Amino acid sequence: MELLNLYQNNYLIVFVFLCLGVLLPVVALFFGKLLRPYKPLESKYTTYESGIEPFHDSRVQFNVRYYIFALMFVIFDVETVFLYPWAVAYEKLGIFALVEMLIFVVMLLIGLIYAWKKKVLKWI
Amino acid sequence: MLSGEFIAFIALALAAIMGGVLLLNLTKVVHMVVAIVFTFVSIAGIYVLLSAEFLAAVQILIYSGAITIIMLFGIMLTKHNDESEAKGIGWRKVFMFLGVLAFGAAVYIGIYDLDFASEPSELHVKNTEQIGLALYSDYIIPFELTSVVLLVALVGAIILARKDDGGKGEDKK
Repeated sequence: MELLNLYQNNYLIVFVFLCLGVLLPVVALFFGKLLRPYKPLESKYTTYESGIEPFHDSRVQFNVRYYIFALMFVIFDVETVFLYPWAVAYEKLGIFALVEMLIFVVMLLIGLIYAWKKKVLKWI
Repeated sequence: MLSGEFIAFIALALAAIMGGVLLLNLTKVVHMVVAIVFTFVSIAGIYVLLSAEFLAAVQILIYSGAITIIMLFGIMLTKHNDESEAKGIGWRKVFMFLGVLAFGAAVYIGIYDLDFASEPSELHVKNTEQIGLALYSDYIIPFELTSVVLLVALVGAIILARKDDGGKGEDKK
C-alpha cells in the first residue's frame, strides 16, 4: 500500500505537465489578444488572393473519402490496442494465444483486402 | 477524509461533467468537440485513480485520439459553420429537469450501497499483463467476436461511402 501511494503520487508530475499543456496555448492566445493592436478594417477581413477578387466561402465541405480513411484509422487503432496486452502477456499464454491473434489479424486483413479491391485506398 | 485521491476525484469528476455541460451549451460544433475531449481526458484520469492504467491509455488513444478525429471529419463533412438553434419552450424544460432529477435519484439509490463483494486483488501490479491473461484465456470468444464487429464496421463504412461515390462524376471537389 505504501508503494502504491508512492507510485500514484508520481502522477503529480503528469498532472503538472497536463496543466502546462492546457495553460500554454491559453496564456499565449490571451496575451496575444491583450498586446496586439485592434484596428478592424473591411479590407483586412478578406481572404488573401494574389490578384483576383475572392469569392465563395474559403472553407468547403470535405470529400466523403476522408471519412473512410478516418474510420479505417479508428478500426486499426482498436486492433493495435488489442495487440498490446497480447504482447505483454504472450510469454505466459503460449501458442494458443498466437493462433487467436492470427485469427484476429486475418479477420481485419480480410477487411483491408476488401477495401483494397473496392479501390478505397486509391486516391480518386 | 480530504485525501489527495478524494480531491483528485472531485476535480476530475467536475472537469468531466463540465465538459459534458459545455458540449451541450456551446453553439459552435468545433468548440463542442474540444469540450468533449476534456471529458474524455478527465475520464482517463479517473481510470488512473482506479489503478486501471492500461484502460486510461486506451481511453486517451481511442477516445480523445481516434473518436475525436472521426467526429471532426463528420463535422467537416456536414455544415460545420452551423450553430445550434434557440432552445425550446418553458414547460418542456420543466419536464426535462424532472426527468434528470428522477434519473439522478434512481442512480443514487442504485449505486450508493452497492456491494460487489469482490475479492481484493493487486490491480495496479502489471496491469496490462493481467488484462492480457484474462482476455486471451477466459474471454476469448468475446475477443474474437470483436474482430468480426470491426470487420463489419469496416465493410459497412466502405459500402456506405461507395454508394455516394456513384455520383462522383457530377460534383468532384
